[in-house]
Amino acid sequence: MRKITFVLVALMLLSGFAFASGSTEEAAPADPNTVKVGLLCIGDENDQGYTYNFIRGRDEATEMLKADGINVEWVTKFNIGEDATCTDANIEAAEEGCQIIINNSYGFEPFMLEVVDEYPDIEFISCTNCASAFDGRDNTHNAFANIYEGRYIAGVVAGLKLQQMIDEGTIAPEEAVIGYVGAYSFAEVISGFTSYFLGAKSVCPSVTMKVSFVGSWSDATAESDAALALADQGCVMISQHSDNTTPATAAQSRGVFHTGYNNDMTTIAPEASLISTRIDWAPYFYEAIKAYVNGEEIPQDWCKGMADGAVVMTPLNEAIAAPGTAEKVAEVEAGLADGSIQVFDTSTFTVGGEELTHAFALDTDGDFTADSEEAVYDGAFHESVFQSAPYFTAQIDGIEWLNAAY
Amino acid sequence: MSAETRTPLIRLVKRTEMAKGKVFGIRVASIVIALILGCIPMLLTGTDPISAYGVIIQGSLSRPIYIKQTVKIAIPLLGCALAIAPCFKMRFWNIGAEGQITMGAVAATYFALFWAESVPHVVLLAIMFITAAAAGGLWALIPAFFKARWNTNETLFTLMMNYIAIGIVAWLQGGPWEGRKGSQLIPMFQDSARLPTVLGVHCGWIIVLALVFIMYIYMNRTKQGYEIAVIGDSVNTARYAGMNVGWIIMRTMFISGAISGIVGFMIVSGANFTLYSGVADGVGFTSITVAWLSQLNSFAMIAVSMILAVIEKGANTLQTRLSVPASIADIITGILLFCMLSSEFFINYSLVFRRREKKEAEA
Repeated sequence: MRKITFVLVALMLLSGFAFASGSTEEAAPADPNTVKVGLLCIGDENDQGYTYNFIRGRDEATEMLKADGINVEWVTKFNIGEDATCTDANIEAAEEGCQIIINNSYGFEPFMLEVVDEYPDIEFISCTNCASAFDGRDNTHNAFANIYEGRYIAGVVAGLKLQQMIDEGTIAPEEAVIGYVGAYSFAEVISGFTSYFLGAKSVCPSVTMKVSFVGSWSDATAESDAALALADQGCVMISQHSDNTTPATAAQSRGVFHTGYNNDMTTIAPEASLISTRIDWAPYFYEAIKAYVNGEEIPQDWCKGMADGAVVMTPLNEAIAAPGTAEKVAEVEAGLADGSIQVFDTSTFTVGGEELTHAFALDTDGDFTADSEEAVYDGAFHESVFQSAPYFTAQIDGIEWLNAAY
Repeated sequence: MSAETRTPLIRLVKRTEMAKGKVFGIRVASIVIALILGCIPMLLTGTDPISAYGVIIQGSLSRPIYIKQTVKIAIPLLGCALAIAPCFKMRFWNIGAEGQITMGAVAATYFALFWAESVPHVVLLAIMFITAAAAGGLWALIPAFFKARWNTNETLFTLMMNYIAIGIVAWLQGGPWEGRKGSQLIPMFQDSARLPTVLGVHCGWIIVLALVFIMYIYMNRTKQGYEIAVIGDSVNTARYAGMNVGWIIMRTMFISGAISGIVGFMIVSGANFTLYSGVADGVGFTSITVAWLSQLNSFAMIAVSMILAVIEKGANTLQTRLSVPASIADIITGILLFCMLSSEFFINYSLVFRRREKKEAEA
């Protein structure tokens, strides 16, 4: 009993602080041109990759909106888990007066959706996932970009380098092997490495690829280990779909080349990293927040590509890239923009030795298998047309999955 | 060598009964010192400590929803502290509550995923409750059996069992129970597998409060509780009194694991609505602190678990409002726990300096 009294007194002491401190309760801003936006991140800026890329988008969009007379008050929360802490973070952001809440990681969505009905006036956005747009609610949204376009171009850059090495006799044609560090054997990743591979193959026909899954979106050590193991298995080019820069440094330490994701990695690995591709979130943040302030609907399922500036290439590392790369990149970019190049052109790859003629895009009955909307037509698989999140899951020939456990 | 030169500079002496007022004073002083020390990391990161403490209290107690969130954090802490108390009373160092929670959660999740369609709501919850208790209890019984039979080290054994349990969930997450392929996410529970809410918080709070009374009576008013206390004081005395020590160890561990399992059930069915490898989220370890600070008193655990919940929830708001890194909040929690635990030390022991002792001897 003594203990309880003691604890109660301690609590009262603490609450004394609360009243003495005079800190005020947070609420939504009163000014109609000021909007309070929550950004919930899986990592923090120090990853120099995925979350850093969101922070970059956040800051760019803030500047763009300021030019339009819109002030954004950001509430950014870092290192949120893909678990119930995400539910709590959404509640927290909503209670702290955020009018729009952006969830930046794929695995956040189910936990975010637990909260949305409690706050019908708040707009919830789940980046890179796919359930919010189709759940019949007005206040839940999805967004992604056609990152496969950027990966295709990064693949072209890698392929040109490999072809240069073949032509110079550094490697035999069959030694043009790419090692790919993937997070999970998941549609977004499969779509990404397949487009990358097809980009490389378009300029280096003998290329093959090995994919190693690390079982985490962000695990700097595991990503590095996977990259080193791939290099040791004879891969001369490393690329990645994971959040850190360690695959770049691993590639450099083994004397092989690298192309990155999310951020320019040429300063970290100047002798290895050729180019990176990244999503530029600024156009989306700008569009969504502006729509909100103007009283318009935020798009339910936003997806734009390179032509709209939503996917960008980082500066090419001219010192080590193959000659003529910049010209070729410009040519492919133009081709993608006018539609003359299709990334998933079904005449350029085979699945089990046969051409891909059929694949569904959407899962409508919730059993996690796509069952509607034919994605293969007009001689190509059409990615991110029926929903923003990628749905290409075929295992094409020439790509070896080293471990599909993840 | 004379006895005098061998006397160390500082010696620890077990205190006899201390005046209540003095005990109270030491405890208040420990909190005040903790609050002052907690200012250091805040000042280092450029945060005003007074407003930071204010935000912690506001963020955890100033609105109904925040109080609900705080209680939600306290429920598993309290439940799990109740679970490990009998083991600690017995001086059986069960640090495997993390794994026992996880296994309880696994059992509950199995029924939530595969029986939700075919079984009515209340029956389903009852099944989940019972199987979670059984799974947690059996998981705890394994190290207890080895301890009773071969006197293995229970600390290491229970600790290792945690990682096995977490590994099992990681496998389920990426394997048989995975939702969308490659996502590593087990689907969310249907409504029928979710605990109903009472006063805005899942009804687990009623279960743990009931457990508080049950455990208090069990530990203080029953023969089994007495047996546990005797073994804790002296295993040989227990043997001499004719108690079957091995059996009591196994029985107590089963009860402990079963309560942890129930905590696991409450976490998945009341708070998370799905299963993932971090389901126990350190509760199994934090609750050791709760149990210890409460000196294994069930009622004191309510207050201690609430304090820790207030800090955790408040720290979250601290991060939201003042952009204080979450790790700073962890440091403050650590300082607070350290000070509170060391106050117990000064209540039980006094420091005797050599010189003072000499004077005392002369006098």
